[in-house]
Amino acid sequence: MAAIVGIDVGGTFTDLYLSPGNGEPDRVVKVPSTPDDPSRGLADALDACGVDPQQLGLILHGTTIATNAVIERKGAAVALVTTQGFRDVLELGRRDRPSAYGLTGIHRPLIPRSQRWEISERLDHAGKVVTPLDEAGVRELAQALAATGLEAVIISFLHSYANPDHERRAAEIFRAARNDWQVVTSSEVVREYYEFERTSTAVVQAYLQPLVSRYAERLQGRLVERSITAQTLVMQSNGGLVPLAQLPRSAANIVRSGPAAGVIAAARLAAQAGFDKIITGDMGGTSFDVAVVVDGQPHVAETTELDFRIPLRLPMIDVHTIGAGGGSIAAIDRGGMLKVGPESAGAVPGPVCFGRGGTAPTVADANAVLARINPEHPIGLTNLTRLDVDAARAALGRLGAGIGLDAEDAALAILTVVNQAMAGRTRLLTVEQGHDPRDFALVIFGGAGPLHGAAIMREVGIRTMILPPYPGVQCALGCAIADIRYDMSLTVERPVSEVAADFAADALAAQRREGEGKLAISANDIARTALDHVAQMSFAGQIHSLRVPIEQSWTPARMADEFRKVYAREYGEAPGDLPVTLVSLKTTVHGLREQAGAAAEAEAAADAPQPAATRPVRFDRWIDTPIYRRETLRFGHRFPGPAIIEQADTTAVIEPGMAARVDRYGNILVEMAS
Amino acid sequence: MSDPVTLAVVRGALEQITDEMDLHLIRAALSPIISETNDCAHGLYDAETGETIAQGSYGLPLFLASMQWTVQRVIAHARADGGFREGDLWFVNDPYISGTHLNDVVLVKPVFVDGELFALFANTGHWMDMGGAVPGGWAPSATEIHQEGLIIPPLKLCEEGRFNTALLRLIQANVRLPGQLEGDLKAMMNVFSVGARGLDNLIARYGVATLRSCIAEILDRSERQMRSYIADIPDGTYSFEDWFDNDGVDDVPLKVALSITVAGDSLRLDFAGTAEKARGPMNISDGTTISMCLVAIKHIFPDVPVNGGAFRPISIAIPEPSILAARYPSPVGGTTDVTQRVVDVVFGALAQAIPELVPAAPFGTTGVLTVTGKRPRDGGYFVAVYPYPGGYGASAGSDGLVNGTPPSSMARFMSVEMSEHRYPVRFEYLAIRENSGGAGLHRGGCGTAYGIEALADCTVSILGDRVDYAPFGIEGGGPAAANEVQLVIDGAEVIPAMRSKAEKLALKAGDRIRLASPGGGGFGDPAARPPAAIEEDLNNGLVTASNASGIYAASVTRSGELAGRPLYRVAR
Repeated sequence: MAAIVGIDVGGTFTDLYLSPGNGEPDRVVKVPSTPDDPSRGLADALDACGVDPQQLGLILHGTTIATNAVIERKGAAVALVTTQGFRDVLELGRRDRPSAYGLTGIHRPLIPRSQRWEISERLDHAGKVVTPLDEAGVRELAQALAATGLEAVIISFLHSYANPDHERRAAEIFRAARNDWQVVTSSEVVREYYEFERTSTAVVQAYLQPLVSRYAERLQGRLVERSITAQTLVMQSNGGLVPLAQLPRSAANIVRSGPAAGVIAAARLAAQAGFDKIITGDMGGTSFDVAVVVDGQPHVAETTELDFRIPLRLPMIDVHTIGAGGGSIAAIDRGGMLKVGPESAGAVPGPVCFGRGGTAPTVADANAVLARINPEHPIGLTNLTRLDVDAARAALGRLGAGIGLDAEDAALAILTVVNQAMAGRTRLLTVEQGHDPRDFALVIFGGAGPLHGAAIMREVGIRTMILPPYPGVQCALGCAIADIRYDMSLTVERPVSEVAADFAADALAAQRREGEGKLAISANDIARTALDHVAQMSFAGQIHSLRVPIEQSWTPARMADEFRKVYAREYGEAPGDLPVTLVSLKTTVHGLREQAGAAAEAEAAADAPQPAATRPVRFDRWIDTPIYRRETLRFGHRFPGPAIIEQADTTAVIEPGMAARVDRYGNILVEMAS
Repeated sequence: MSDPVTLAVVRGALEQITDEMDLHLIRAALSPIISETNDCAHGLYDAETGETIAQGSYGLPLFLASMQWTVQRVIAHARADGGFREGDLWFVNDPYISGTHLNDVVLVKPVFVDGELFALFANTGHWMDMGGAVPGGWAPSATEIHQEGLIIPPLKLCEEGRFNTALLRLIQANVRLPGQLEGDLKAMMNVFSVGARGLDNLIARYGVATLRSCIAEILDRSERQMRSYIADIPDGTYSFEDWFDNDGVDDVPLKVALSITVAGDSLRLDFAGTAEKARGPMNISDGTTISMCLVAIKHIFPDVPVNGGAFRPISIAIPEPSILAARYPSPVGGTTDVTQRVVDVVFGALAQAIPELVPAAPFGTTGVLTVTGKRPRDGGYFVAVYPYPGGYGASAGSDGLVNGTPPSSMARFMSVEMSEHRYPVRFEYLAIRENSGGAGLHRGGCGTAYGIEALADCTVSILGDRVDYAPFGIEGGGPAAANEVQLVIDGAEVIPAMRSKAEKLALKAGDRIRLASPGGGGFGDPAARPPAAIEEDLNNGLVTASNASGIYAASVTRSGELAGRPLYRVAR
């Protein structure tokens, strides 16, 4: 089998995971990212991993370029064309504010009002024409705008999901006016109602498309320079891959794809290890991302807010974030209470122990002072050979003096507070989704995750924690093992009693054809395809709908029966005989790739694991703690906590009172010792 | 004194318990007002003083302090009744006791540990219908509370574990959605077991004694935190007045007067001089007023935690009777608008002392537009509710936001496409209301304009304000554009007699409603606004060329045109 690489281009680091495919062990690489041209960092990682271009079968990667361009407002110059009377929908949103308390702060729409235009046309909710499209007006506008430096135009008309004719016709006129700008219609990006969310999604798509096109071209160029002909696929936020060539048309779909890849990898590894309900925790330098996976399926959010008033209405893996990471800053508030984050020291100046001028004590400084991390071998840092523990200790001493704690107790207090915050968010997420967190295993990853996973597990009451083989490059691994995926949806919003018997079957068949058509030109290693049909349904008058898995052949009445069952399962009791509404029909087409499968060891090791060293590590007291090298641990090895496990991409802490064992796939499973 | 780590952990754990209670109810409630707009609150309260120990962060800001106020009054009732017993559950919706309006029902449940009263859990949720003259309870021309629905005085719904089914049936017989009411009640009762489970874990971990001392310390620390913010405010008395247009029944303006005295680390708010009484529904109960004062203060100091300790340095005097301390039988349905003005006057007074922290007035009217009738498609009855969005005031840091939600709420505006699916209406426009933000160094956010055409005969009610008294600016910033309500009935333009208040107007298919909500006030001298910002506003159509050269005193030149829109350059 040919070599496969997964690459995750993050804001600070570009991570690479290589499965050589020739029996050699997997390799991981971490190089600095190059935000000015992210394709360079990716090429650096490829060069550093030393793979033979001829042996390379597939490159699979995720990137933050799209997310960053939105957050930093660095996308293309674009214009929006809407129905007369509605050009401000994009800026108005749906009446809200950035946070519950505080009435200050503003919203910066991706398109200023001066580049939002209106055209006379109107459809009703059924897609019937109320006012015909003013084609002459469209032509005039297109000609006027063609003379400016715009890179893309978005056409978003009311009720276009019910009838895209007006949008399509307007798009034709715009394309005719100039052939070198991107023209995007809202209905081709999202075939669903909710004008603000649909328009916003189409705007994000067009705003990113030129940037993503340039990125795809540059990347292709760098691969050609290296004589790499391997197919390249890119990770999407729904957890599926898309070919590089199709990337520009899917620009909005790759936003927040890195965290999604981490969840996909966690789901796959956990399923293999025999866990069907997991919570994933990904802790990096600035944030902690948490997600829920049931029966191997990550929970999917219908709408995700990228920034204040910038929703994306695309199915995305539901990843929740709090500001808790290795760089989170600890401080004493005016009431004398210790708090940690959400402010972060970031990469510059960074934690005090990095010696780059940071003076505010952080979570990383606490870990350094407590000797949880090895000061002589800091991870993932360039031009830094050792940590300045003394400086970290001094900073923690200053912090602790304010609340009567010495430096070490202040460090312990910081860990307690940040771990509680992460445990709390983890619990809330499961509660929001109606689960009991104690039924779940925790898969912990990210550069800082394994330092804190044991405490989170203990706080939440989770029984098993899984430390995957490469926690620090989990998202790169996720890219390598994801499948191809396309989502199609169509808003119906009609009482089930009014839906014609064969309407759903026809619509689902059309979605299936569209998806399979896209698959046919996708990856070259698709082993088989799989198909999901879903109806979003609600009781008449309800605003939230439920996701009901259906079969293509089902009648509307059969769907309504199934909806009542799902409702009863979710909420306990279905209200009497309220009429049921079919909100939308959805199809997902999966192209399942051949999976090498993690090399499973057949034989358990007969020997005991040998620590590489011991060093005093502070828990509730200083304990001489065995330090294991991850690469020396084998299937069948068992060891008690306290223990520290060091590897190239992260450091893991096993607390006293816990027990660790290595499974046949190289995961370390940690449980409370009985 | 408890150690700092245990304190931080216990505070986090208590907040976690009440957050989880919020989320459980939001998920389980049948009332869409609870599940869609989080119109609920959950907290843990001191059994003796009623002080808030922790309150969930997912509920509405409106309930910030009214819960403590309600619990304190229920404690008094329970004492008169022989005290709380294990298995008791009290409930109340009498707004003169529990604040807000009849639809917000409060449950109070004592928590016993080893036979001893430890604390009180309480929650509130908005029930869809409590009977009364109008479905949903909101009657713009109500003159007494009985038109607004059924009143529940503080009563024991469970007595030592026995549920009083008769009481529930009596209530159900008087409301329009009895099944949903029972579902919501059961959901709210179930949430207490979620809270109790979390509290049990905490007690098992730390013991009652440690937990009690931690709680006392947490409240003291929060008090210290609040006092430190107050101490930074220059001492003095800061007074401010604002007005309501009318009460919807008598066309007489109603004054809201506030004096805030800052003395060291204490604040005293005194509403002396406020209008005595409104005949129509522009009254709120004292509990709501107190809660909104604290909401306004938390909007200025968002870091202060929500508990009774933080409330201690603030005393609030409200003359009785007055429109801010309604007494039986005054209607209280105007709570959605009256509450906004409480926030405005707190801002107006404190802006004189700490203009660097306080924003100018937000749009200040919740302006609920309700359209009801029968759907032509199936004859089904519909109720469509469109609450006003509007601009926020500018602040020292930035211009004001457009299309904000009221300071007391987090509720959103319905999607246009969704509305047109559900109701026989067609939106003509939903737009930024040009030229409506208060001028200033920082400009107030513009209001929102929306026009709706009726596609079938229907009935329309509106309850708004701020037509005659526009949202004010601060530090030399100008006022925002005032509220405008216009209907087109039979081709004729109609302005309601009470300007923005009207009950049950009959519209025919083809008639139209046109609303323009106020913007927010401006901050600072408009003549100091940077020319680049004025140029952007001008090219974005947010201010007119005449205002740019007039109010903003800028030199404006027309530099060209794009697709029929003029382009401008601005200099000083």
